[in-house]
Amino acid sequence: MDRHDWGAGPDSGALPPSDPGEHLLKAALIGAGQIARQHITCLKTLAGVDLVAICDLSPATAEAAAERYDIGAWFTDHRAMLEKIRPDVVHVTTPPTSHFRLALESLDAGAHVIVEKPVTSTAEELATLVKRAQEAGRHLVEDHNYLFNRAPQEILRRIESGEFGAVTHVEVLICLDILGPGGFADPNAPHPALSLAGGAIADFLPHLASLAHLFVGPHRTAQTIWTKRKSSPLPYDEFRALVDAERGTASMGFSASSQPDAFWLRVYGEKMQATANLFETRLTFDGPRDVPKPLRPFFSGLEEGKIIRRAALATLLGKFKGPGAYEGLWELIARTYRALADQSALPVTAGDILEVNRMVEALKPKEPRL
Amino acid sequence: MRALVTGANGFLGRHVVEALLARGIEVRAMVRPAARVAALGWPSSVEVFRGDLRTSRNLTRAFEGVDVLLHLAAMVGGGEDAQFAGTVVGTERLLDAMADSACRRLVLSSSFTVYDYGSIRRTLDEDSPLFQISNVYTRDGYTIAKWWQERVTRRFAEKHGWDLTVLRPGILWGRDHSYMAGLGERIGRHYLVIGPLSRLPLTHVENCADVFAVAATDARARGQTLNVVDGPGERVWTYLTDYMRGSRQPGWRLPVPYWLGIGVVRLAFITVFRSATKLPATLIPRRFESRFRPLHYENRRLRETFGWTPPLDYQQCLVRTYGPMVVPGKQTATSSQTDHVQGTANESGDQKEAASAFLLQQPQ
Repeated sequence: MDRHDWGAGPDSGALPPSDPGEHLLKAALIGAGQIARQHITCLKTLAGVDLVAICDLSPATAEAAAERYDIGAWFTDHRAMLEKIRPDVVHVTTPPTSHFRLALESLDAGAHVIVEKPVTSTAEELATLVKRAQEAGRHLVEDHNYLFNRAPQEILRRIESGEFGAVTHVEVLICLDILGPGGFADPNAPHPALSLAGGAIADFLPHLASLAHLFVGPHRTAQTIWTKRKSSPLPYDEFRALVDAERGTASMGFSASSQPDAFWLRVYGEKMQATANLFETRLTFDGPRDVPKPLRPFFSGLEEGKIIRRAALATLLGKFKGPGAYEGLWELIARTYRALADQSALPVTAGDILEVNRMVEALKPKEPRL
Repeated sequence: MRALVTGANGFLGRHVVEALLARGIEVRAMVRPAARVAALGWPSSVEVFRGDLRTSRNLTRAFEGVDVLLHLAAMVGGGEDAQFAGTVVGTERLLDAMADSACRRLVLSSSFTVYDYGSIRRTLDEDSPLFQISNVYTRDGYTIAKWWQERVTRRFAEKHGWDLTVLRPGILWGRDHSYMAGLGERIGRHYLVIGPLSRLPLTHVENCADVFAVAATDARARGQTLNVVDGPGERVWTYLTDYMRGSRQPGWRLPVPYWLGIGVVRLAFITVFRSATKLPATLIPRRFESRFRPLHYENRRLRETFGWTPPLDYQQCLVRTYGPMVVPGKQTATSSQTDHVQGTANESGDQKEAASAFLLQQPQ
C-alpha cells in the first residue's frame, strides 16, 4: 500500500460548522460542473453570503469542489442537502433538463432559486415554477447574465439618460464554434443540451432573447430560419430570427461556422448606435459630433480606433484574472443577493423570465429535425 | 485469463493490448463509441467493447468473465472540468460497475504528475511526497484529474478489498508522441531549452506497456505502487537533438540554465503576476518546477519487484519512434516469460543494428 495519505474525505451529508452567523444568507449549489465554478467564485467574494453546501451526483466532483472552495458540506443527494442545510438560496447549475425538478424541490424546501439558463425545457414547466414560487413567497431568478455585462449596462444608462434616443432596432449574433469533438458535438457522449428543441443552439436562445427583450421589450411576432451547414451530431448549426417587439424590432442569430468566436450586440437608437462584443470588453458608440458633417466619419473612426485598442488591452489583462466574459453573471448574482437582503426589486423578475421565455418558445424550431 | 483494458486504442492502450496478447492473455478492449479501431490491426481474438465512461449505462457488461482490469482511460485534452469529468467521474462509474462484478484485480495507470515536484530534493521515487489537498488545486486540470483518479481508485479498492496495483509512468514517448513539454519552450522551429542537462523521466511506450502486462499477470504486483521509467533518463539536450534529427525539424536551440529560468519566473510572479489567476503554466513557479526541475529518476522498485529490465534500450526506442514502422504481429510475440526474454534478446541485436544504420543516415 502507498504510505501517503489520500484522505478519507468527509461523509457525504456531513453538516457544516455551526452557526455561520444569523445575518448571512445561506447559499447552496446543486451541480458542481463548469458553470458552477463561476457561481462559486462569485459567491466567495460576496459579503453577507455563506456558501454552505454543494451537491453533485458524482461524489468526487462534489468533494473536490468542497475542498477547493472551502465549502463546509458536500452531498450527492439534493434532497438530503435541502433537508439538512435548509439553504436560503439554491443555485441550480445542472444540465437543463433537470432544472425543473430541482428548482421545484428547492422552492418547496423554502429556498429562493437561481437557475442557469434555460430555466426549463418547456413553457408549461416554467409556468408551474413561477406559480409555485409565488405560492411559496420565494423568488425564482433565471441567469440572464449577459444583460449585466458592462457593455449592455452602459448602453442602458445612455438610453435612460436620453442621450441615446429611443431604440429602434437591436441585433444580437453569437458566432461560436460548437462543432468541435469535445463539446456539444461530442460523438461519444451526447451533450444534454441536444435533447432540447433546437439542440445545442437552444442553450443560447435565452442569451439572445434576454438581450433583445432588454432593449425592445416583449415580442409580438417572430420569424425564424433553422439550418445545418456541416455534418455533426447537432440537429442545427445555424439560426436566424427577425422579431417584431413592443418597442422596436430585433434580429438574432447563431452561427457555428463563422469565425472568430464573437458575441455581437448592436443597438440602434434615434440619436446613437452602439456596438459591443460581449466575449470581449469592446464597446463603441457612434453619434452626433460637433464637427462639419463630412468630417464626422473621420473623427468617429479615430475615436473608435482608440477605444478598440484600449478594449483589446483590457480583454488581454482580463484573461489573467477575474470573471472575463462572465462579469455579468457575477454582477447578476451580487445584485440578486443585495435585493434579497434588502427585500428590494430583483434584477431579473418573474415577469422578465416569463416574457423572455415566451420569446424563446417563439424562436424554437416548429418541427423536430430528423 | 481475460483482461479488460480501458483506453485501449489510446497511445499506451494499443501497446498494452499487444503486450497482453503476446503473453497469451485474452483481451476485451474498451473504446469509445465513435473510435476507429480497424487501423490498429488487432486480431479477431480481441473483443472490442464500445462505451463511454462518462455516459454509458452498460458498463457492468464489460466486466463479464474478466479477471483483471487495466484502467488506462483518461482525458488528456479539453478544459479542467472536462478532464475531471472524463477522468475522475468516468473512473467512479467504471469502478461502480466493477463492484457489481466478480472481478477483484485492478491495475491503474496513474502518472508522475501526482508527485509534488516542488517538495522533492534530489531523487523522485515512490517515496517522494505527493500533492495534498492543500496544494493540488493550484495545479493544472490534468494533474488534478489524475490525482483524484488515483484517490478514487484507492478508496474503491480499500472498500471492496480489491487487489490494486498503481503504476505511475514518467513521460511516455514513442512514434508520433516524441515531443514533450519538458524540452522547453518551442518558438516556431526554435527552442528555449530550460535546463539542458536535466534528465527526462522517459519510458518508451512499448517498455511501459510491457510493465502493464507484467503487472496484470504477476502476483508480486498486488498492492504495489510502482514508478515506470526505463532508467535514469536521457538529458534534455540529448533527447532534443535526437528529436530534431528523427523528426527532421532543424532549428536553433538556446540553452537556459534551470536556476536562471526559475529565477526569472519567480521574479515576474512576485512583481507582476501574483494577483493573476489565469496564467500560462510556464509563468507559474510551481508549474515551471514540475515541468523543468532537474531531478534524478530511478526504477529500483520496479526492478526489485519483477526483476524487470526494459525490453528496448534507448537506441532501439529511437528506431521504433523515428525509423520505419514496425508492423504489429511481426514483432516478438511470445506466450511465456522465457520465450519473451529470449525474443527480446534476439530482437535486441537486430534493433541495435537498425539503430546504428538509422542514426548514421540522419543529417548531423
